[in-house]
Amino acid sequence: MTTETTERVATWRKVVAGVLFAIPWIFYLLLPLYNTAQPGLGGVPFFYWFQTLWLVVSSILFIIAVFILYPGRR
Amino acid sequence: MSPLVGPLGWGIFLGFFVIFVFLGFYGARWRRGDLSQLHEWALAGRRLGTFLVWFLVGADLYTAYTFIAVPSGVFASGALYFFAVPYVATTFAVASVTMPVLWRWSRLRNYVTAADFVQDRFNSKLLAGFMAATGIVAEFPYIALQIVGMQAVLTIMLLGIVKNIKLVSDLALTIAFIILAAFTYTSGLRGATLTAVFKDALVFLGVIAILAAAPFAISGAFSTAFKAATLAASTTKGLLASGVDFLKTPFAAAYTTLWVGSALALYLYPHAVNGALSAESDKKLALSTALLPIYGVALALLAMYGILVYGDTSAMKILSLFPPSARGSLVIPTLAVTTLPEWLAALALLGVFVGGLVPAAIMAMSQANLLVRNLVKPLYPGITPQGETRVAKWASVIFKFLALGFVFIVPATYAIWLQLLGGIIITQTLPSVFLGLVTDRLDKYSLMVGWAVGLGLGVYLFVTPHIPAAFSPLYPIAGHLVYIAVIALAVNLLIVLVGTGIAMAIRHTR
Repeated sequence: MTTETTERVATWRKVVAGVLFAIPWIFYLLLPLYNTAQPGLGGVPFFYWFQTLWLVVSSILFIIAVFILYPGRR
Repeated sequence: MSPLVGPLGWGIFLGFFVIFVFLGFYGARWRRGDLSQLHEWALAGRRLGTFLVWFLVGADLYTAYTFIAVPSGVFASGALYFFAVPYVATTFAVASVTMPVLWRWSRLRNYVTAADFVQDRFNSKLLAGFMAATGIVAEFPYIALQIVGMQAVLTIMLLGIVKNIKLVSDLALTIAFIILAAFTYTSGLRGATLTAVFKDALVFLGVIAILAAAPFAISGAFSTAFKAATLAASTTKGLLASGVDFLKTPFAAAYTTLWVGSALALYLYPHAVNGALSAESDKKLALSTALLPIYGVALALLAMYGILVYGDTSAMKILSLFPPSARGSLVIPTLAVTTLPEWLAALALLGVFVGGLVPAAIMAMSQANLLVRNLVKPLYPGITPQGETRVAKWASVIFKFLALGFVFIVPATYAIWLQLLGGIIITQTLPSVFLGLVTDRLDKYSLMVGWAVGLGLGVYLFVTPHIPAAFSPLYPIAGHLVYIAVIALAVNLLIVLVGTGIAMAIRHTR
């Protein structure tokens, strides 16, 4: 079975997109960074709201990565 | 006690449920295709754009696990169950990388399942059969979990109205499943897609409404709730044991391995693959996948409602009517009726109810695809495309009712445990599927042995008495609690890599 479906994408695009996809993984692996109660937000401890905020950050990083991986196509 | 949901609430719930059913059946006429072809029935003709894939896969992946099991876990155990948030943030990175590749193969060779790909990639019907069987088995507890979530909604809605809640809710669930089976049979994934948009709208409405209403219903909202939860944790032994404001240190390894394992596992589930393959192009699939962590904000809020409920005295009074083990599942339905006006509560409850129905339909459909494509077809190669679809349609009906029967017989108290066992099992297909997308050089016999050992080890560690408890998905390693799926996957991968190395060396010396 050949790899006829592998897209010809420039290496730098793959590397940059790979880094963007990996950033949320690295952040969430560093548990001590966010495992604290202070500063709170509207009564919600840091542990909860900061991880929630990173959902949005993750999405933005992934969208940039997708546009880098699929240039100029529909 | 007086009913929590009166005639107005019931009227709105049933009225909107009728719209849901209509959309389900209308799906057959929407973007008409030849529904006797498997890819038309099961993948909606691979014609969904970025936004429809987002709504469909969102509704497919954010299930009763999100609405019921996660809040339930946070309510009972505390911060540990917030692992669901890093899980959904990172799983879509895995999916954005792997699924477009699988999509391109599938489009080229008309694959409908991940096992179709494995069969061609490693030239082994046996390996593909193992993958298919694993997917079908792992999907059952996931469907069961959906039904448990729907039961929780009916329990709150029937409270104070009928004496025998169990009997009436079982009857209502059976009727709901007959309707679901009927429109899945006729409309396939098209019906699921339209109802998915409807579900997502109700879910977002419910989640945002509770967030907006909380400060009015609970003075001090989250501040009050976190203080009340801390107090409850200090007075009741074992309650919220993993921490309230943040995670207690002994649970750090459990937290990290739970989200890592779950993030790797999600897109190995047949229903996730099924949703992904329905996209119109690889770029649209990648883009909608990249947007899915946003949906996770709803999950994060629902998880926090597991703590919020501690600040709501009227909700806690309702929950105290039930045995402690049953309370967790009822957290979200209870908060909906205590914080929201009745009409809005009815819509939120319907959101949770159809929030279980939509994924259950896609799960049963994806099980059916695996059965017909990777187990039936290898045994009866002469089966026509029409015959294939006919078997798949009926199989999807049967799988739904098997799961329903399972829930009726086995009382599911710890809903999330069921799903976590499924996670341990499905993770063992990772080397064949995800590594298969990267390389075709892996040895198929090593993949089979790795899968078998990983599966055996995972199930053994799960059922054997251990700390913290038998049937816990966590197992102590060097004093740290680790998610069993990750342990079994590590052993599985080791066998695959070493085995492939040996196979290559043997071939080389010949």
